[in-house]
Amino acid sequence: MDPIIIGVAVVNGLMIGGIYGAVALGLSLIFGVMRVINFAHGSFLMVGMFIPYWLWKLFGVNPYLSVVVAAPALFFLGYMVQSVVIAPLIRRERALVLEPVSVLMLTAGLTWIMDNLALMFFGPNFRAVQLDFALNTIQIGILSMNVTRLLAFIMSILVAIGLSMFLAKTDLGRAIRSTAQNRDAAALCGINVSKVYNITFGLGCATLGIVACFMIPFYYVSPSVGLGFGIRSFIVVVLGGIGSIPGSILGGLVLGVVESVGGQFVTATSASLFSFIIFIGVLVFKPTGLMGKKV
Amino acid sequence: MSGAQISSGPAGSSKSLKYIIGIAVFALFLAAPLLITSEYILHILIMTVYFAYLAVSWNIICGYVGQLSLGHSIFSGIAGYVSVLLFIDTGLSPWIGMFIGGLFAMMVGVAIGYPCFRLRGPYFTLTTIAFAELVRIWLENTDEFLGVQLKGAMGLLVPLRGDAPALFQFTGKEPYYYTILAMLLIAMAITFWVERSRLGYYLKAIKGDQDGAEAIGVNSTKYMLTAMAISSFLTGLGGCYYAQLFRYINPERNMGIDISIETALMAIVGGQGTIIGPVLGAFLLTPTGELARSFFGGALPGLHLVIYGLVLVLVVIFLPKGLISPLRYLIRKGVDRK
Repeated sequence: MDPIIIGVAVVNGLMIGGIYGAVALGLSLIFGVMRVINFAHGSFLMVGMFIPYWLWKLFGVNPYLSVVVAAPALFFLGYMVQSVVIAPLIRRERALVLEPVSVLMLTAGLTWIMDNLALMFFGPNFRAVQLDFALNTIQIGILSMNVTRLLAFIMSILVAIGLSMFLAKTDLGRAIRSTAQNRDAAALCGINVSKVYNITFGLGCATLGIVACFMIPFYYVSPSVGLGFGIRSFIVVVLGGIGSIPGSILGGLVLGVVESVGGQFVTATSASLFSFIIFIGVLVFKPTGLMGKKV
Repeated sequence: MSGAQISSGPAGSSKSLKYIIGIAVFALFLAAPLLITSEYILHILIMTVYFAYLAVSWNIICGYVGQLSLGHSIFSGIAGYVSVLLFIDTGLSPWIGMFIGGLFAMMVGVAIGYPCFRLRGPYFTLTTIAFAELVRIWLENTDEFLGVQLKGAMGLLVPLRGDAPALFQFTGKEPYYYTILAMLLIAMAITFWVERSRLGYYLKAIKGDQDGAEAIGVNSTKYMLTAMAISSFLTGLGGCYYAQLFRYINPERNMGIDISIETALMAIVGGQGTIIGPVLGAFLLTPTGELARSFFGGALPGLHLVIYGLVLVLVVIFLPKGLISPLRYLIRKGVDRK
């Protein structure tokens, strides 16, 4: 096969892979801190994509400006879902035998509610935001890159760096990390664990709000857009190691390249076969992921 | 497990009450096609019993071991394809083909179970999803494999043979109803046997504490694989039935993640790890979903799934043992009062 075509496929894969990684950040953060798999992760992304879409459609707001609305809105939504729906379960879990699958089922129920409410109100159509410069490209050597995709890629990396800095440098970040290490010890040190959980869940969703605003200029949104991204996020998180932010980005890049290069050899729809094979391979042979530490 | 067995005082009367209710319900089910005149209502009843059957089959491994599989559609899909392909290519009756399909599903179940059972909790769930999606995507994109026509996403039509009971094709709906009812009863009888056998005790021990069970010498992999084999075989038979009922099979309908999630949902809402629970869940949710779909499907698409989601969220929060637990409590209370 032509090395130039492969080269282009690799670059395209890296671009979309960065976004996969940024989408998976929230899932990784929430799992790392709360040991909870948020099955509704993709649905939060769907909500995050509808916000800039409707702001653009109804008021003509540039989707990149919608970040200031979408990120706080998603933070609030995540905060509420955690404190109202999931918190009672975690409180019960502390008293009784641990049932990790119950949270999984609970969030699976949330997925159905969110996706189908969107279906009821917005219909099943695919919608997209059209920007003037969405088709512009930047030429670097023989590679041409779409501007909106490049912006989304850069933003993805920035979100990951920002999240790492936040967790490393701020008091709240330290509280989140200590809660992740040992819930009870953190509580003994005076950390309000349930509040940290709410904030963590909100933060995980807020990252989706940012990424969603950068995706909508080139990615169609529909009520069912979440499932595919949700499953990809699980793959990314498992690949990169749960709770690891650099791992999440690295996992995303690997997945993006595999899908993109694999798509050159088989039909586009069966390219995701490769991701599932990698996923199963990693889970069975190295469940801690590429950059994960031993639990 | 069940409170009725533990409490010794009212156990006798509770047991006889249980039998009376059981026989009455059974008679009602036998007579149902005579009482129901509408073809549509009968179809809803068939789908309800079908989902009850799937949920009971799912429950044998997932309910008793406490692992959540969201990939059981792989078994119904593979077995369905095997029996339909055998019928198309060799003319073998689906009555025999479904058992061959079930055996295929069983082999796949054991092959998947072996690596999966080392994983726990969410990892197990995600791997089951991955396997099911893997096979579904492969099937959707494969028109021909080793000379066998699979026809990809288009799916396969079961050739029509008219009124041919020997080939699993009937003109009316009633025979289909009695077939799935019999399958449900057999699956429940197998669950009953598993619950009271050594296997059942081992499974419950593994559910309680897998490391502890292994420490006292329970070979957890062996017993989980045994339960997985039974569960995948039964689910496979269900998939063959589904293909015959609609005379059509395609990867999305027979192997999609929706079927897996709905099956798990029925069992969890009803009460996993019990004989009646999954049936109860199916009988509550399937008719509700079907009716919501037929009344509001045009104006409010997806309403039935919103209802499923709400019921699931409420049950997980307020009734972690499923709907069966308050029901048991009521029956016992009724007996005590006498």
